[in-house]
Amino acid sequence: MRPLDWIVLVTTLCSIVAYGLYRSRGSNTVDRYLLAGKTMPWYAMALSIMATQASAITFISTTGQAYADGMRFVQFYFGLPLAMVVICSTVVPVFHRTKVYTAYEYLEQRFDSKTRVLGSLIFLLQRGLSAGMTIYAPAIVLSAILQWPERTTTSLMGAVVVTYTVLGGIKAVTWSDVQQMCVIFLGLVIALVTVLVLLPSSVSFGDAVYLAGAAGRLNAVTTTFQWSDRFNIWSGLLGGTFLFLSYFGCDQSQVQRYLTGKSIAQSKLSLLFNAVAKIPMQFFILFIGAMVFVFYLFIQPPLLFQQAELLRIQNRPEFAAIQQQYDRAYAHRRDAALALAQERRSGDGAAEARSKAEYRAAEKEFDEARTQAQSLVSAAGGEKGFTDTNYIFLTFVTRFLPVGIVGLVIAVIFAATMSASSGEINSLATVTVVDLYRRFVKRGASDHHYLVASRWATLFWGVYAVAFAGIAGRLGSLIVAVNKVGSLFYGTLLGCFVLAFGFRRVRGTATFIGMLVGEAAILSTAQFTDVSWLWYNPIGCAVVVVTALLVTALSPGGASSAIPETQRAG
Amino acid sequence: MPELREVPNEGPPFLGTWRRVYIGILIYLAAIIVVFYVFTRAYR
Repeated sequence: MRPLDWIVLVTTLCSIVAYGLYRSRGSNTVDRYLLAGKTMPWYAMALSIMATQASAITFISTTGQAYADGMRFVQFYFGLPLAMVVICSTVVPVFHRTKVYTAYEYLEQRFDSKTRVLGSLIFLLQRGLSAGMTIYAPAIVLSAILQWPERTTTSLMGAVVVTYTVLGGIKAVTWSDVQQMCVIFLGLVIALVTVLVLLPSSVSFGDAVYLAGAAGRLNAVTTTFQWSDRFNIWSGLLGGTFLFLSYFGCDQSQVQRYLTGKSIAQSKLSLLFNAVAKIPMQFFILFIGAMVFVFYLFIQPPLLFQQAELLRIQNRPEFAAIQQQYDRAYAHRRDAALALAQERRSGDGAAEARSKAEYRAAEKEFDEARTQAQSLVSAAGGEKGFTDTNYIFLTFVTRFLPVGIVGLVIAVIFAATMSASSGEINSLATVTVVDLYRRFVKRGASDHHYLVASRWATLFWGVYAVAFAGIAGRLGSLIVAVNKVGSLFYGTLLGCFVLAFGFRRVRGTATFIGMLVGEAAILSTAQFTDVSWLWYNPIGCAVVVVTALLVTALSPGGASSAIPETQRAG
Repeated sequence: MPELREVPNEGPPFLGTWRRVYIGILIYLAAIIVVFYVFTRAYR
């Protein structure tokens, strides 16, 4: 990072915070602090929803994933439009009509207080764990790349987020998110243009796309089905739909964004904007990763992108042989890529096919050398199953992007972290105050009292997130488990809301029992099978619904309840 | 804590009804999957 990069980074972050705080003035009542007094336009909510969902690791990891594995991750988002249509036609009107602050407040109106408490606690547990990870995950990558201490990175990001979230409430969060998304879009476009400009002059854009495709990096749709495979069209359409139904329908960090809408139509439009824009956006991010792959066809990448792990294995006796094999494989692949690009332009089909086979063989040889190096990291006492995909994009950024642009891309990573984290902290505080404090500790207090309580709760969750990020490095392999934590709980919450909206006869106790059994089913699936985490949501949801229906059928008089008109979908 | 204000339930700004908007979104999803499939096949 050179002085101009620092100027760009600091200016961008300061302007985001200042703008958010400026737009949040007047948040002096609890409904304005938590729900912006229901005054937000659709475009602000839409960008806030997008920003809350896209954490920094999305950008760091997604580009690295395209580099290593191709673009098939985009299929994960195929379920999003389906989920948004269902949510807009059912959940959004009911949440607005019942005038709830949180999704779990609705559960008490529909069922009973114990179901509300269970839903709230599941959310606090799941989102509380991920709040720390949202800050920690990009911090370790930034620290490794920029040589900053992890604590400095987490504290800096945490301090900025906590400041504007505590002071400005949801308005500050939403308007900061809007600006953060603008910075993110700008940074991504500049990153793509720069990587294309940096390609050798003999390689055109058409050649670059062709070379990425020939190496299997443009596999946007894969139709083969496997239970353990996370990214194919079937897991995307089915598993993805359930995951996004849970996330946008039952997770307060998203529900709170669209509850700020000034009308039901504005809330629906904000979600439908995401339904339309999210897939092309992910495609674009993955495409950047594929182009970084093409760039490294002509500039030799390091054997491992994570410097600390590369240093770890350099003294091992096997290292020299692997490095030599890697150097040879790289030269072979570069020559094969240039030859293939030339044959493609010549129009000789047979020669092109021969060059393509040679290129693929060279790519395989290259991958084998990298796999051996990664295995050596594990053998040398490093992380088991080590991969360095999270370090690929930022290594490229810091080594090859021009001065000023590096600062902007680092600002993108900070902005993405702050937007995801502020949404989480804000929603955690809301559930703590509305569903627990106001409901069970201090009922009927003044508006000012709850406003102050909301600010303190926001501060508490902000400090907690930074503190958790500070100790996350000591949790070792637990980090992997924490990353999957959302999927471990979403299915249960989704099942509960499916019962609330779709099955009028089911009551609170049946739902409560269903949730407990559903959670046990998900945890058992995670513990005893190799089923991919994307399937935990449909499994959990189905178990909750079936159990609750069985309990309802077996209990006397269980079929007699009806729900009020305001709580019905439509 | 004050009761939240009632918000209006308006129609969509385009296509007339929400039902048509939802159908439009589903058609868009089908189209984008087809485009990505063709893209994958073209550069495989």
